[in-house]
Amino acid sequence: MPKLRIDNVEVEVAEGATILDAARAAGVRIPTLCHLPGYPAQGACRVCVVEVEGAKNLVASCAAPAVEGMKVRTTTRRVREARRTVVELLLSDHHGDCQTCERNNDCELQALARELGIREVRYAGQKSPARRDESTPALVRDTGKCILCRRCVQVCAEVQGVGALQAQNRGFLTQVGPAFDLPLDSVTCVQCGQCSAVCPVGAIFERDQIDEVWAALENADRHVVVQTAPAIRAALGECFGYPPGTLVTGKMVTALRRLGFDAVFDTNFTADLTIMEEGTELLTRLKRKLVEGRDVPLPMFTSCSPGWVKYAEHFYPGILPNISTCKSPQQMFGAVAKTFYAEKLGRPREEVFVVSVMPCTAKKFEAGREGMNSSGVRDVDVVLTTRELGRMIREAGIDFAALPDGRMDSPLGLSSGAADIFANTGGVMEAALRTAWEIVTGRELPFDNLHVAPIAGLQGVKEAAVEITGTVPDWGFLDGVTLKVAVAHGLGNARKIIERVLAGEGDYHFIEIMACPGGCIGGGGQPRMTDDSVRAARIDAIYREDEGKRLRKSHENPDIRTLYEEFLGEPLGEKSHHLLHTAYAARERI
Amino acid sequence: MNGARAHVLVCTGAGCVASGAHAVAAAFRKSVVEHDLGGEVDVVETGCLGPCAVGPVAVVYPDGVFYQQLTPDDAREVVGEHLLKGRVVDRLVHREGEGQAGIPAAGDIAFFRSQTKVALRNCGSIDPMKIEEYIARDGYAALARTLAEMTPQAVVEEITASGLRGRGGAGFPTGVKWRFAMSADGERKFVLCNADEGDPGAFMDRSILEGDPHSVIEAMAIAGRAIGSGQGYVYVRAEYPLAVERLGHAIAQAREYGMLGQDILGTGFDFDLEIRMGAGAFVCGEETALMTSIEGKRGEPRPRPPFPAQKGLWGMPSLLNNVETYASIPPIILRGADWYAGMGTEKSKGTKVFALAGKVKNTGLVEIPIGTPLGEIIFDIGGGIPDGKQYKAAQIGGPSGGCIPRQHLNVPVDYETLNELGAIMGSGGLIVMDEDSCMVDVARFFLEFVQEESCGKCTPCRVGTKRMLEILERICKGEGVEGDVERLVELGERIRDTALCGLGQTAPNPVLSTIRHFREEYDAHIRQRRCPAGVCPELVRAPCQNGCPAGVDVPGFVSLVGEKRYAEALRLHRERNPFASVCARVCFHPCERKCRRGSLDDAVAIRGVKRFMVEQEDRPNVPEVRADADNAKRKVAMIGAGPAGLSCAYFLARLGYRPEVLEAEDRPGGMLVQTIPPYRLPRKHLEREVRMIQKLGTKIITGRKLGRDFTLQELREGGYQAVFLAVGAPQSQKLGVPGEDLDGVTDALRFLRDHNLSGRSEVGRRVMVIGGGNAAVDAARTALRLGAESVTVAYRRTREEMPAYAEEVDAAEAEGVEFRFLLSPAEVVGNNGAVCAFRFRSQIPGAFDSSGRRRPVDSGEPEVELPADMVITAVGQSLPAGEYFDGLGVKLDRRGYVQVDPDSGRTSIDWLFSGGDAVSGPASVVEAVAAGERAAEGIDRYLTGESHAFWREERQVDTFFDPDADPAEFARARAEELSPEKRRRGFEEVEIAWGEAVAVREARRCLRCDYGKDG
Repeated sequence: MPKLRIDNVEVEVAEGATILDAARAAGVRIPTLCHLPGYPAQGACRVCVVEVEGAKNLVASCAAPAVEGMKVRTTTRRVREARRTVVELLLSDHHGDCQTCERNNDCELQALARELGIREVRYAGQKSPARRDESTPALVRDTGKCILCRRCVQVCAEVQGVGALQAQNRGFLTQVGPAFDLPLDSVTCVQCGQCSAVCPVGAIFERDQIDEVWAALENADRHVVVQTAPAIRAALGECFGYPPGTLVTGKMVTALRRLGFDAVFDTNFTADLTIMEEGTELLTRLKRKLVEGRDVPLPMFTSCSPGWVKYAEHFYPGILPNISTCKSPQQMFGAVAKTFYAEKLGRPREEVFVVSVMPCTAKKFEAGREGMNSSGVRDVDVVLTTRELGRMIREAGIDFAALPDGRMDSPLGLSSGAADIFANTGGVMEAALRTAWEIVTGRELPFDNLHVAPIAGLQGVKEAAVEITGTVPDWGFLDGVTLKVAVAHGLGNARKIIERVLAGEGDYHFIEIMACPGGCIGGGGQPRMTDDSVRAARIDAIYREDEGKRLRKSHENPDIRTLYEEFLGEPLGEKSHHLLHTAYAARERI
Repeated sequence: MNGARAHVLVCTGAGCVASGAHAVAAAFRKSVVEHDLGGEVDVVETGCLGPCAVGPVAVVYPDGVFYQQLTPDDAREVVGEHLLKGRVVDRLVHREGEGQAGIPAAGDIAFFRSQTKVALRNCGSIDPMKIEEYIARDGYAALARTLAEMTPQAVVEEITASGLRGRGGAGFPTGVKWRFAMSADGERKFVLCNADEGDPGAFMDRSILEGDPHSVIEAMAIAGRAIGSGQGYVYVRAEYPLAVERLGHAIAQAREYGMLGQDILGTGFDFDLEIRMGAGAFVCGEETALMTSIEGKRGEPRPRPPFPAQKGLWGMPSLLNNVETYASIPPIILRGADWYAGMGTEKSKGTKVFALAGKVKNTGLVEIPIGTPLGEIIFDIGGGIPDGKQYKAAQIGGPSGGCIPRQHLNVPVDYETLNELGAIMGSGGLIVMDEDSCMVDVARFFLEFVQEESCGKCTPCRVGTKRMLEILERICKGEGVEGDVERLVELGERIRDTALCGLGQTAPNPVLSTIRHFREEYDAHIRQRRCPAGVCPELVRAPCQNGCPAGVDVPGFVSLVGEKRYAEALRLHRERNPFASVCARVCFHPCERKCRRGSLDDAVAIRGVKRFMVEQEDRPNVPEVRADADNAKRKVAMIGAGPAGLSCAYFLARLGYRPEVLEAEDRPGGMLVQTIPPYRLPRKHLEREVRMIQKLGTKIITGRKLGRDFTLQELREGGYQAVFLAVGAPQSQKLGVPGEDLDGVTDALRFLRDHNLSGRSEVGRRVMVIGGGNAAVDAARTALRLGAESVTVAYRRTREEMPAYAEEVDAAEAEGVEFRFLLSPAEVVGNNGAVCAFRFRSQIPGAFDSSGRRRPVDSGEPEVELPADMVITAVGQSLPAGEYFDGLGVKLDRRGYVQVDPDSGRTSIDWLFSGGDAVSGPASVVEAVAAGERAAEGIDRYLTGESHAFWREERQVDTFFDPDADPAEFARARAEELSPEKRRRGFEEVEIAWGEAVAVREARRCLRCDYGKDG
């Protein structure tokens, strides 16, 4: 427990803490730029330098360990001028059209320049080339804005294990991007958008599709419906200054209505539907394996996370048969809206326009995947991220805080608490278990408040095992079977589980994978900056939403029952199969 | 080695291989067989011997005869002559200078003699492909001792006590590093060798790996034992294929012999090595980047701490040293720490290998005790600067290093001293630069290198060095602005303070150190748009013109002479220098020193061409004058009618002024008439050019001496709006020895002035001239002509260090003047109040002084007394400022000369300008002309508010030049002179002008460096 002095404030910190940690503990603010809390320090930007007594040079506080007896100064002229020089140098190589930048007023570089009182960039010179990469449906890269802090590189390689972005070339020509300067759509990028969530400037951001939504809303021939993913309601408030974890479901619904959507629905509805389909799929696979002795791909992996699906297609094509064939809730919603709902409405499916609001950039990619048009038209027309919705509301001049609470429309607006928890890691698994368990045993899942505690929380890889006893007659073959499940979030953790499975360790039956750390609540399209405390707050809010619901299990959702009765028939039935399921294909691994 | 009678060791270091060593070795072998010497003579291919510049080289043992620049034919000759008949082939041995006697024995050659080889002990002595030869030279004995007799602690203590420091750059104590690694906890540990040698010009690590790979293997095994590691990696750059091949071979052999692998020497110790090849990124020499690269990632540094000893390769404790450091380990173990610590300085023990490169005669690898003065490395081992050029700076430590200027030649080369001077030891790259190096360009070059090699991770290094580079590029292009140097310093210091790794932290060093030592060169680029060294292409029209202080369009007038357009040529010359005829005789022609033809064969004889040109002036050739009624009314005065004052008047007159020149003596010309003897400058030529200046509207008033007849204040009050002070440095300095006041002692200025102005011709029988400058030589040659029986010039330094022009010294010697060197005046010996002898203390060259020359010190030998009845002292001149500036408060510099703005010649008083020797101290005529021109421009600008110096505009002459044609093949034409016998008899001009054919041909030797450059 080293004790040290920072600007004459004595502070004691844990072993292994950095000077930056110590400063924060001492209430001393040190500006940072390349630093990502919770990940190994890179020491790249040099904005956080401080003076340490006895050290020859200034020290990067994000990387330097706090040492017993250390004396640190953070406000001296030497420190201030060094920081200022570093930021001036960054600005000198930055195409800084702030007023029209996607990150205007939400930019860490801009904020730093203001904080350090920079009024002039004394070191003008050549700038790195500004090229825009708009090759993917999800993300836009603008090299002219990039300040090479490498947070995206770190997240893509170390958190996601994808490594689609990396530093290339040397010296001033160094740039961050896909290998060989290829466009993003021709490398292994899974479009999870975690890069865009950590980018401090406007160098990587979601493709902005607000105008496409406005155009649809203004088109009298269109019936525009919107679905919002469960993770939105726990994060959208952050766009308007609410603390992370504030639930704004009601205000969100009102805002969407004021924007002009003809119907405000909920992706939760199809999350419940997903549980019906996916739960049945799992039980079917188990039955074929255990009863019929057929060679069925097990364990089964969840399929709701499009970043994860694309990751598997690139890196582990061998396990594609193990991934549930269920479309994600977003796509199921689109398919149902363009068929069941359109029929109910009495309008041709072409006139129904589906907008989804997702915490995720990969959803933009998913909406355009092959096969996502089983009704004959695209399931989902436009995907907005949480950040885009925030901007759209602001653009419309809506005073979000002053909005009254609204309620989702029927029939695609009713959902169970099980659907809510799709938003966070462990949630899909828990939702599936709530239903599957009850189908198999006729009893409620034997966990406190229906929460499967071992697979909740932010630990990277989680697992649980439940012995099935007292089955209903149809599922007797499962009696005595210990159901083994595992959960991973963040693709780096997914890799760990897959490697374990491929190595024959951990004979799981069902594995939930979400591409982003924390699950969808930590998605690449969520308000920035998402760290573990923010993730925890959002997860907490999601569980509150779940627990506040009368319906807690997907199979109890009466509108889902109606949907099956009136339209789909039965889970995994022919119509479901046609509308709600899809296929995967291996992709190149550059 | 086997029982052969003789061995031929052929160097097969990469340098010699590149110049054909394999063919030479093959020729040796074949020839040995042909001469049936198979059993008697063994031909061995060894590693680098060091003197790469003269490769391929070989040494024949047992005689130890060193042969250089060998061809296969030479090899056959050596076998036939030396090995068969025992006759050394003199043609192929080393010699210290052209025409000097050969030095057959390697041990007698200064390059080898001054070295102490520890790390290089086996390089050039053994066949690196044979482990047996390494073992025969005590190889692996240190490992055996380590394993059998020493605890790991004892090994580390031995290394610590030896004082060995990291030879890769930063000089961190090796023993401390080993101790950290030894005491670190980790499930595995690694021993790493940094062979990612990347400094431009440094190749010692490569040479060791190529010439003695087992020394590194053995040391790494020792290190493995000491820190408790079983696995090592050598990180070599892929550009070193020969090193990789030989090291790989050596590792395999070491395994075969049980020196690597399991249970080494039966002691139960396991250790193995692998080679990892890097793609040649400079930054991978940084330890954390190197480890990242071995891990298979992009080679980029990571923050330290944690240090490698705590968390290194794959997060495990790792010990990293460079090749040279490892190579020094086995001898330390075998011979003991005390032996090693006995070499070097207090804080820097042992020896260090340097790669001598650049403008030095003997380039190559040298190993010397740390603390050897830089001057000794360059001049004794390196043989000094080739082509008679001046040493300017040594760049030490590669791109992270700095430049050491002349005034620090005597510093001991050790870690601390180099740091104090803004350089670093680095890996030992030592690049010598002569006067033709532009220090701004050098800084730009190194910065460009580090900028390109920066990994781009941290902001200061990626962007900061780019910004510095951009500023330097601007300065080199002549687009620098006031404040750029300060910006460079500020940015450089910030980068040093904030960059992530050693590369970035040291990247500004070359810039900061050149600014520190060569600030004036930066200022010249920025303020005068001039590159004094003649390097920066945008600032240099032609190097000769750039080298001319007056900026005369040399290629212009030379090419006009080549087309026989003499009047135009002369007119062009006088655009920038009115004294064409004077300079054609007395100029020391710095233009020729810079002539590019010199690198082809010999410089164009520019002064000879000029001499011919001025001989063709039949009608007075007057330059363009722009009449100006306003200027005609402005009263301006020059004080002193020497070359500076008259030039100033000349240029002002061309702007329509009516300058007045006040001269103390009764004849104008200053030193041109007072001290330069008529045999060099016949008076009529000077008078003609003075008349030409008068004709332009200049009024010369003689017999008016400042301080005697008028004061500066009076001039001012008399309505002079600007005054140019060009009074020279007319006071002789005293010797400061007893007997100086004896009869027969005089000083050179007085002696020459008396003769030249008053025609006095009293001279002693035996004349002793004290000094080594031009005044001394002029006095000596004048004394000889006046009838002295013997004239001796005594100088306290050596001939090479004489400030006098070498051609003057040669001419004087030819006429019979005797030169004595290394004699320091002790006493003028008198007899009855008159001189009878001069006593000297004999000197030897001592340490290098601040002028970059060896300071003469007493040799300890008995004093030398030489008979003399007349003594002429010429040991310096000064400005009698007290006489001139009565209460005016004119600022002087430290040496007592007038301090002026270098652009305009303006003094600390706004209306007073100055130039010539009064500002610079004794200097050349052409420098005085240049000072006069600058002051003329400065005065005009002061009086009118703008510059009108129309003569400064460059114009391309319309002479014919075919850029595709080969250069004219004639050799440089020699100057024609009177015979020495004739010369001695009187004051007739020594040099004779060429005929037209010779002059025109010589002019056509010009390479026309100005071609395609307009202004």
